[in-house]
Amino acid sequence: MSNSRTVILFWQLAILAVVLVVWQWGFEWSKTLLPKAYVPKILDPYFVAKPSLIWQSFLRLGCFADATGFTACIKGSDNNLWLATLVTLKNTWWGFLFGSASGIAAGLVLGRSDFLSRVFSPYIVALNSIPRIALVPLVILIFGLGDLSKIATAWLVVFFVVFFNTFEGTRAVDRDQIAAARLLGASEFTVLRTVVIPSALAWVFASLLPAVSFALIGVIVGEFIGAERGLGKLIIEAEARANASEMMVAIFVMMFVGILLAIAVRSLQSYLLRWQPQFEASA
Amino acid sequence: MIAAPSQSLALARDEGRAAAARTRIAVQGLAKRFNASGREFVAVDDVSFEVKQGEFVALLGPSGCGKSTILNMVAGLLPRSGGRILIDGDTVETGEVNPRVGYVFQRDTLFPWRTVEQNIGYGLEIAGVPKSERTGRVATAVEKAGLAGFAQSFPRMLSGGMRQRVALMRTLILEPEILLMDEPFGALDTHTKLEMHKTLLEIWERERQTVLFVTHDLGEALTLASRIILLSARPGRLKEDFDVAIPRPRDPVAVRETAEFARLYSHIWHSLGEEFRRTRAD
Ligand SMILES: Nc1ncnc2c1ncn2[C@@H]1O[C@H](COP(=O)(O)OP(=O)(O)O)[C@@H](O)[C@H]1O
Ligand SMILES: [Mg+2]
Repeated sequence: MSNSRTVILFWQLAILAVVLVVWQWGFEWSKTLLPKAYVPKILDPYFVAKPSLIWQSFLRLGCFADATGFTACIKGSDNNLWLATLVTLKNTWWGFLFGSASGIAAGLVLGRSDFLSRVFSPYIVALNSIPRIALVPLVILIFGLGDLSKIATAWLVVFFVVFFNTFEGTRAVDRDQIAAARLLGASEFTVLRTVVIPSALAWVFASLLPAVSFALIGVIVGEFIGAERGLGKLIIEAEARANASEMMVAIFVMMFVGILLAIAVRSLQSYLLRWQPQFEASA
Repeated sequence: MIAAPSQSLALARDEGRAAAARTRIAVQGLAKRFNASGREFVAVDDVSFEVKQGEFVALLGPSGCGKSTILNMVAGLLPRSGGRILIDGDTVETGEVNPRVGYVFQRDTLFPWRTVEQNIGYGLEIAGVPKSERTGRVATAVEKAGLAGFAQSFPRMLSGGMRQRVALMRTLILEPEILLMDEPFGALDTHTKLEMHKTLLEIWERERQTVLFVTHDLGEALTLASRIILLSARPGRLKEDFDVAIPRPRDPVAVRETAEFARLYSHIWHSLGEEFRRTRAD
């Protein structure tokens, strides 16, 4: 019975507690217990902050502990935690949406056409070989410091991942299923809509989960390199002040944003793919 | 299930009349050559036959003799290398689908992301039949296929026999006048196969579609068909043509006890046996 739900939960909470305790007090303890040379630098609150400081920074950045009150504080600052989260989330979402929509469209078109896929194949291989991050400064030069450049960066990282999977999925569609649909009266477009797309959907979704993380990475990198607002910008500002706890706040919020987006994609996936055995339970 | 003598006589006469009816499928000098790794090989060679209105014709031959190839050319799924195919007097064009023709595959081609009723209703749905009308027709078809209670199930939850019944209904709901079937029960176990024969016999004896049914199973051909066209081993050529005068309605178990079944079985068996030996000699 060592893998029952309660036991698993117990160990998960135990690990969390140990991490928090070591993070909070580990550095102090090791200083009193160990010779100076062996004190682990990784625990130094100057670099990694500590839970209590992070909590205080969270309250401050989130306008929970402001003398002027919550609303006044929100209005008073141009990149508070709420605004930064909203901006990053919004740009990630749009980048993900445009990136996957265009990736799916391109994958379907090239997947259904031998001619086009052969014409475009060298270009796709070449473009895909460029490390996307190398393009970020260029993107910012073109689209400016605002939201557009972040959406474009996210688009860049999402597009190819989704494109390749959709392409493969379109190629893997059962020929006999297509023939069956045609014999039941389906036109080329109806075959695409009712056979190719549903059948390729499993492949598409296999790429959407990584794609949503990639979109977030794209936006954050964009914000590092040049931005006015956003969680990435918050980190850069905190770095300038050598404020580790504020960076940690931004990192934790990113983690939650990432989890939220993944859950959203995951639930859409289990609804649309409910005909597949592994998603049966959630159908 | 064995019919009263007077009734079976009437049905036998019915089939006699069908033979005089108009030609639905005409295959003339049909040929198919494939390019297998640079070498051309003949899969079908100069095959001619006709299928009349209301006939149930079985195309029988050893595996690999070109039965599916012939059927696919009749369906317009495959270009032909020579000869002509006419359906109701019109030449079959490759890639063009004839709405009067239905096709049932051997392989499972159900759409796994659609439920049983969505699979059966597929053809009506894409033809733009309004939902109100569709629901009723689909429900009837589900009932007819003996799938009541499974309407909302996905194909993977069904047995092989049930899946093939769904496939059959998906085609039949469009009320095709001509039915092309490529070993539709080839993948089923004997018991399920007999059940499917019963279902198909009931449907056909009621609706009398024109059927071209491909099989390598002699018993199946005798059970179902009113005529058997025997093909030679590769390359597929016409070998013999038999009328199966077993009275209807037929029961898939009882037919096996009729004298006609026994007579044709041993006769065709020997003929078919020569072809199987030729296949092995290759
Ligand atoms: N697309 C193809 N390319 C090359 N050879 C094929 C192709 N389709 C079928 N054949 C060959 O043609 C012959 C007849 O095939 P088929 O019609 O499927 O036989 P059957 O249905 O009678 O078992 C076989 O030898 C098969 O290998
Ligand atoms: Mg075959």
